[in-house]
Amino acid sequence: MKTKIGFFDFAGCEGCQLTVMNLEEELLQVLQLVEIVEFRELMSERVAQLEIAFVEGSICRPGDRQRLQQIRDRSQVLVALGSCADNGGVNALGSDRTAEVLRQQVYGSDLPHLYTETPQPLSAVVKVDFRVPGCPIDGREFLAILQALLLKQQPELPSFAVCVECKLAEYPCSFDYGQVCLGPVTRAGCRAICIDGGGHCRGCRGLIDNPRTSPYHRILEQHGLCFDEILDQYRTFNIGEQESAK
Amino acid sequence: MTPASSLQNPSALLSDSHWRAMPQADVLRFVRSLLLAYDVVGAQNKRGRIVLDSLQDAADLLLDFPPAVHSPKKFLFPNWDQLFRFKLDENILLQPETAAPPRIIFGMHPCDLHAVKILDDCLFDGESDSSYRAKREATLLVGVDCTPDEYCFCTSLGTDRIAEGFDLFLHRRDDSYLLQSGSERGLQLLQNHAPEIFDGVAESPLPLQVKQCSNKVQFPIESLPSLMEEAYEDDIWQELGQDCLGCGSCTLLCPSCYCFNVQDKLEINLQEGQRIRTWDSCQFDQFAQIADGENFRSSQADRQRHRFYRKYKYLWDKYQRTACVGCGRCSRECLSQIEPVEVLNRLFATAPPALISDQPGSEYQPQMAQVLEVRSLSEQDRLFKLQLPQPLDFTPGCFVELSVFGLGEAPFSITSPPDGGNLIEVVIRKAGALTQALHRTREGDSIGIRGPFGTGYPLAQMLGKDLLLVAGGRGLLAIRSLLLAALKQRQEFGRITLLCGGRDIESLMFPQDLLDWHQSGLLDCRIAVKDQQNHWGVPAVDVSYLFKDLEINPQRTVAAVSGPPGMYRQINPLLFRMGLDDEDIYLNLERHMKCGLGKCGKCRINNICVCESGPIFSYHSIKHLAEAIER
Repeated sequence: MKTKIGFFDFAGCEGCQLTVMNLEEELLQVLQLVEIVEFRELMSERVAQLEIAFVEGSICRPGDRQRLQQIRDRSQVLVALGSCADNGGVNALGSDRTAEVLRQQVYGSDLPHLYTETPQPLSAVVKVDFRVPGCPIDGREFLAILQALLLKQQPELPSFAVCVECKLAEYPCSFDYGQVCLGPVTRAGCRAICIDGGGHCRGCRGLIDNPRTSPYHRILEQHGLCFDEILDQYRTFNIGEQESAK
Repeated sequence: MTPASSLQNPSALLSDSHWRAMPQADVLRFVRSLLLAYDVVGAQNKRGRIVLDSLQDAADLLLDFPPAVHSPKKFLFPNWDQLFRFKLDENILLQPETAAPPRIIFGMHPCDLHAVKILDDCLFDGESDSSYRAKREATLLVGVDCTPDEYCFCTSLGTDRIAEGFDLFLHRRDDSYLLQSGSERGLQLLQNHAPEIFDGVAESPLPLQVKQCSNKVQFPIESLPSLMEEAYEDDIWQELGQDCLGCGSCTLLCPSCYCFNVQDKLEINLQEGQRIRTWDSCQFDQFAQIADGENFRSSQADRQRHRFYRKYKYLWDKYQRTACVGCGRCSRECLSQIEPVEVLNRLFATAPPALISDQPGSEYQPQMAQVLEVRSLSEQDRLFKLQLPQPLDFTPGCFVELSVFGLGEAPFSITSPPDGGNLIEVVIRKAGALTQALHRTREGDSIGIRGPFGTGYPLAQMLGKDLLLVAGGRGLLAIRSLLLAALKQRQEFGRITLLCGGRDIESLMFPQDLLDWHQSGLLDCRIAVKDQQNHWGVPAVDVSYLFKDLEINPQRTVAAVSGPPGMYRQINPLLFRMGLDDEDIYLNLERHMKCGLGKCGKCRINNICVCESGPIFSYHSIKHLAEAIER
């Protein structure tokens, strides 16, 4: 019998689910092994029980907690899909002020239907078994993690930094262009796609297990970057980690 | 025979390298022709970076360029290398694909050609790596001259030029090239793809071109092994550990680093997959993580040290050359600017001056030691207590060279225990002119001293064990140093037994010490002399008879045997019969010592150098040497 999997979403851009759909040909092959039983972007059916739930987005609206808990209750394995679900992602950027102030600043007058709390990762509410990091996720990494889960193996994320993939691909170093790059402290797995695209790493995949922050800060300073610039970069995706940036 | 040698050994046809002039335009024509039959890899400019890649158009090929980001390792030992394919359900191994595409790497700098030799050494050693071998055999190497940049330090390592290890080499000469063939295959390539050059007029060979690097190692590279030997505990590794990001760029970009990971990658259908090899790095957190999660190289300082020792020490011990070719790739791309030349020069600058000297010949120059005390031990033997200008660090069994100007020098075992101070005791037997002169010295006189030299008893490994010490005649000198060192920490050892033999009581070294030990209760001290009328009344037998009623626990006993050559042949069988392991039997080959530096060749027993690796050896380490146990 095929493994029943489902996709769910909370506050987010749905880019991670879109990445899954964009797998197209591979997705059709995956369907030989799994049955997608819930996927709002594809279908309207619902089931009572499923084996693997991939959950995108962060938790911030009333009712989110309860809905997530229900998904947890009927899933054997729950996987956080993408940085919003994994660590709060860009949604958490607003967490330096209260929800009321934020709402006032963005929407002006008080609009009750836009009520939100400070965005939180899934792990703040339920037990998360595995995670697919990134904003958006990397399709190939998603497939590898799904494979591991189907084989009852422990999925593994790279423990080394984005610099590794950047050097392997022989991209020019962002620091040579005076840009703050979070590559030296960010978990690899994205094949340095942002650097490939001419940008720099903003750390969407989160920090490596053992970021060498003190040499990293020294390097940033050597490149003439001030503390606020460094912190701004860290904040984009790692607001929870910003203490370690100080 | 390795492919490297089979491919590149000059054959009859190639009794001498062919040298041909090759104008720039002909190089281009040559490459165009090669592109029809081969995957030609060459340096190209991509996004402002010099990278090695498959050529689409010969016009893109760079021949005058600084080192490319990645070395030819990218093609000869790629980061993603399929070892074989398998089928999961049926548990079937599909035969590995060993066929590599016919390829030419066009434009390899001398340093990168040297790096290929290192990969050959490491990957063909023992069980030859078949995947590397397949690529190596299918790839032709065309060298080209380079101009070093500010990161290059090839001139310090002698890797700025190369005489072999390529199929063809393009030497730059004003606005044209001089093409040198280095193999039969190279010549055939030329014949097939540039026949007019092959048939052209032979040019006279170019002498090896010496280049200039501003980045220099400030000491002779031959000093590296001894420098590294002493640098293991240096503070510099902590400093590097604090600077290092652990990103692994240095090793990934290194042309000779080849550590790898093997993992399975499954197809989406989960029916089949491939076992692949990817590059790994000793700088990564998990590189040294073993079962149970323990990491035996857990700090970045340890990892950097490991990298430097892999590059500059461990391979040297095996092949007498570094695993670094001075290409500068590691420092060129290092965000923390960790620069090997700077590290090596700093290690050199802070090394104890006695270790390496920039004054030629000064390692042979003695320091002056003052004679503090002279004590007569027998008619011929005198004990000298010497005071040195600085403290002496040695292990029991090490020796010094004592000298008198005009009469030369000779090695003498240190007979006192190491105590971190600057006093030592040696015993000198009056024999030749030098020892007679030494006997004439009095308290307050000065004599020449060099050292300490050699490798002594591994005292730390002996802790917690029973010691069985067997000394014959002058062999007691080194044993005394060991015994006194052990008695200083008596509680750290189990039973200590000393079996001491001699010709007669008068010839015993340290009779007073022997009596004291005998009565001390700290050890079991047994003595035998051959003289039947000896006034001590000890058994008039050979030392081997003292084994007769000896009770030994072979599992916890370490034996040190020190004496005249014949004694080892006599005592070793007794020890084996008692059940001792040959790794737990230490022999003293002090009679082989000569210059102390391991240079003069006199102390060499087969491939072992006694002055460096000895004079104390475990039986295990020398039993296979035909010349070791003296006959």
